[in-house]
Amino acid sequence: MSIDKSKIRNFCIVAHIDHGKSTLADRLMEKTGQVSERDMEDQLLDSMDLERERGITIKLTPVRMFYKAKDGNEYTFNLIDTPGHVDFTYEVSRSLKACEGAILIVDATQGIQAQTLANAYLAIDNDLEIMPVINKMDLLSARPDDAAMELEEILGIDATDAPRISAKTGLNVEDVLEQIIHKIPAPKGDDSAPLKALIFDSYYDNFKGVICFVRIMDGEVKQGTRIKTFMSDKQFDVTEVGVFSPKMTAKDKLSAGEVGYIAASIKSIEDTAVGDTITEASRPAKEPLDGYKKALPMVFSGVFPLDGSKFNDLKDALLKLKLNDAALSIEPDNSAALGFGFRCGFLGLLHMDVIQERIEREFDLEIITTAPSVSYKVYKTDGEQFSVENPSRLPPTTEIDYMEEPIIKASIFTPPEYVGQIMELCQYKRGVYKDMVYLDKTRVELKYILPLNEIIYDFFDSLKSRTKGYASFDYEPCGYQKSSLVKLDMLLNGEVCDALSIIVHKDKAYERGRQIAEKLKDVIPRQMFEIPIQAAVGGKIIARETVKAFRKDVLAKCYGGDVTRKKKLLEKQKEGKKKMRSIGTVEIPSEAFISILKTDNDN
Amino acid sequence: MSGIYIHVPFCKQKCTYCDFASYPKEVGKVESYFACLYRELEGRGKQLKDKTFSTLYIGGGTPSFVKSEYILGAVRQVKKQFNLTPDAEITIEINPGTVDKEKIEAYKSVGINRFSIGLQTGYDDQLKNLNRVHTAKDFLECCNLLKGENISADIMLGLKGQTIDQVKKSIELAICGGAKHLSVYALTPEVGTPIYTDYLNGELLSDDEVADVYDGVVEYLKGKGFNRYEVSNFAMLGYESKHNLNYWKRGEYIGCGVSASSFINGRRFTNTFKIDEYVNAVILNVMPEISSDEIEGEDAEFEFIMLGLRTENGISVKEFEKEFNVEFSKKYAKPLKDKSQFLSFDGETLKIKPEYLYVQNDIILAFMLK
Repeated sequence: MSIDKSKIRNFCIVAHIDHGKSTLADRLMEKTGQVSERDMEDQLLDSMDLERERGITIKLTPVRMFYKAKDGNEYTFNLIDTPGHVDFTYEVSRSLKACEGAILIVDATQGIQAQTLANAYLAIDNDLEIMPVINKMDLLSARPDDAAMELEEILGIDATDAPRISAKTGLNVEDVLEQIIHKIPAPKGDDSAPLKALIFDSYYDNFKGVICFVRIMDGEVKQGTRIKTFMSDKQFDVTEVGVFSPKMTAKDKLSAGEVGYIAASIKSIEDTAVGDTITEASRPAKEPLDGYKKALPMVFSGVFPLDGSKFNDLKDALLKLKLNDAALSIEPDNSAALGFGFRCGFLGLLHMDVIQERIEREFDLEIITTAPSVSYKVYKTDGEQFSVENPSRLPPTTEIDYMEEPIIKASIFTPPEYVGQIMELCQYKRGVYKDMVYLDKTRVELKYILPLNEIIYDFFDSLKSRTKGYASFDYEPCGYQKSSLVKLDMLLNGEVCDALSIIVHKDKAYERGRQIAEKLKDVIPRQMFEIPIQAAVGGKIIARETVKAFRKDVLAKCYGGDVTRKKKLLEKQKEGKKKMRSIGTVEIPSEAFISILKTDNDN
Repeated sequence: MSGIYIHVPFCKQKCTYCDFASYPKEVGKVESYFACLYRELEGRGKQLKDKTFSTLYIGGGTPSFVKSEYILGAVRQVKKQFNLTPDAEITIEINPGTVDKEKIEAYKSVGINRFSIGLQTGYDDQLKNLNRVHTAKDFLECCNLLKGENISADIMLGLKGQTIDQVKKSIELAICGGAKHLSVYALTPEVGTPIYTDYLNGELLSDDEVADVYDGVVEYLKGKGFNRYEVSNFAMLGYESKHNLNYWKRGEYIGCGVSASSFINGRRFTNTFKIDEYVNAVILNVMPEISSDEIEGEDAEFEFIMLGLRTENGISVKEFEKEFNVEFSKKYAKPLKDKSQFLSFDGETLKIKPEYLYVQNDIILAFMLK
């Protein structure tokens, strides 16, 4: 028995962060009876602890629902959740490939925001049918007419019959369900054609091996089907197929138009790259589906195990995370200060943060991370050219002809009263003004070209604090520009600490050197000798601070010969010492390496 | 050489920094406490028949606060139950203001030959702040009674508003009183003591300020002919405390009474801190110990280093190797190298350079981590 494709709808929901995407998803599941209200845990789709806590969606979670429509038919809805944050744009495009349509949520109180635009354009680029929905009608400040007008004016989307809903209260959510049937096209595809299944996500299960989340474009797959992918020569026998409702539920088969999962005792993560196409081994499709553009990491940081002996555990953790996060890049690294570890590439700062937290939580590993860097292009005097992501790998100044740094195109949306402060901030961050557009009376879009290395240091925080949280910010990479860059080294007791080196613009070197030295002075505990902290550029000292030697640490009187008590005190101090790293004779706490990030005196 | 310690957990009133086993409100239990103490001494003595002891130290609390007959009884019991050498050093801690001529004569009559006086400071306002029972004048009167005796005095550093000059004056007072030995300790604010509040409010001297005062004291006492034979202990030649030196040499000692610690036959153990528990245990003929650890291997080695490095003479490599049968400079090569600038090591003796004695924790930790 084959499934009637005209009764299937595959869609995703896109929105600016906090505009109610997860809440609407929950409400749709509830209305279709997928989850009873009693079992309803808030925001079902965000199943990672981290996602719940931060209120963000990181992973792609598909879910299948059945809807009994007013026309009397029962429809199957496959909703594929997408991350909202700019760092995860790449993941959004992955889920879009598996859909025919996208629900675009706009907050009736805020209107179109940076990621509304970014995600709407992504959906349009992927030929998806856009179905606008205006949310948060329960709020007094809702301005649905303005939001509808913005949709038409800015995005050219007709929003006259866009459902005006409250995902929170459930108001008009039925309209959304009905419109999905009418506005979003049913999937096409040929059940009898050779199998073509797009892998849009995957994860590793200890019992079943790699689980691939797939959208079947053509053909069908069931238990026992011998499959292969286009990028790997290996073949596997399918052990289980199924759907998400919302928990994984086994099924006889998946056929064209459906969204589900495939398990085939695949042991190695590398054998099923996200974006690859699965086909039948005996009757392969002629060509793969369009894959994804490879996401390029933009921000790089050293990740080291706090306990040097945990190197292999860290390696395993990173490989497992990389399984369904193609954007994470990993490369072995070693540092004189921190030992063996990895240089990891991330899409952005939030992505970096999330990966670091997942390592610590899900794998129970304590790690040390170094200040983030970007990828610089180095042109040597001998004509050689290469990229440097790790400041300690920069060749000596004398060998460098010139360097280029990555730049981004930034769009900042803000109420007009903050334009001045934002311009000041962008100028401070070496930005070049491009354009300013009044979207309406209450919102302005500022466009700047900014060096990425200025963004990775607290730009976002500064922007929020200068605009009381009203401004939002989005960026896309736009190539490289020639720039006067220098390596800023930090010397502790006369020795360069490689893990603290950063690459900065020449004009910023003095200021940052001074800030980092001050910061280190605060975080490095006093030791038995005076520790000079120096900032140097090309051997020239540009700033200096001193951690004074401590004068007294002797333990009090051995009262009545109570040696045991004293030993216990020392044992405790010993544990503290183990968390320190030695740079020559200087011991520094692990948090020092990341603390240099938080130095911008920006008020 | 081994030592005996006896704890007297009574005093007139509690000092603001005191977190020792000392209970002013339980003076009604003196009689039963000493009865039990004698019994513990008897029991311990029987177990340690084959050992010879050359020091006895009666501490507290305030041993001089209870009637002298209890102290005499304790000393007599020790002499009866233990092999105490005839020339043993017998010390009692006394507080000015709790002794008179009769008490002192009684102590001397039973062989007590060393008197450790808790002076702490020579300034009456500071003494009052600490809730001490005595004044500076009481101290001098007490010294008068002890004329010609072997006197030690305790001095405290880091009191609220204390200056180096005040400390020097206090020391001068102690020397005037005839002290040939001084214990100079930095005040340690312990959680739960009244002075901890002062500490939290930043009213006590900071570690840096204490270090300044300490450096001044070391310099000053040198000029007065006192040698710093341990980080906090100073003595004129021949007046070092044998009892304390035994602790730092990791010698054996038996402690009797509440909260007393012992180190005998490789085992460290400590008695209960509560008088009632102690009394009950002794009456029921069970050990009043609340903790016991066998110290072996590297743990023992570390103790040897940690204790020895507190002293001027440091540790003898020969003694260390004889005791533990390991090659010292090989096994501890890393800390010896890492901390070499703070150490003096000639292959035979390892010492902390005098100027770093007050920051020795960091050095000791290096030996613990290896």
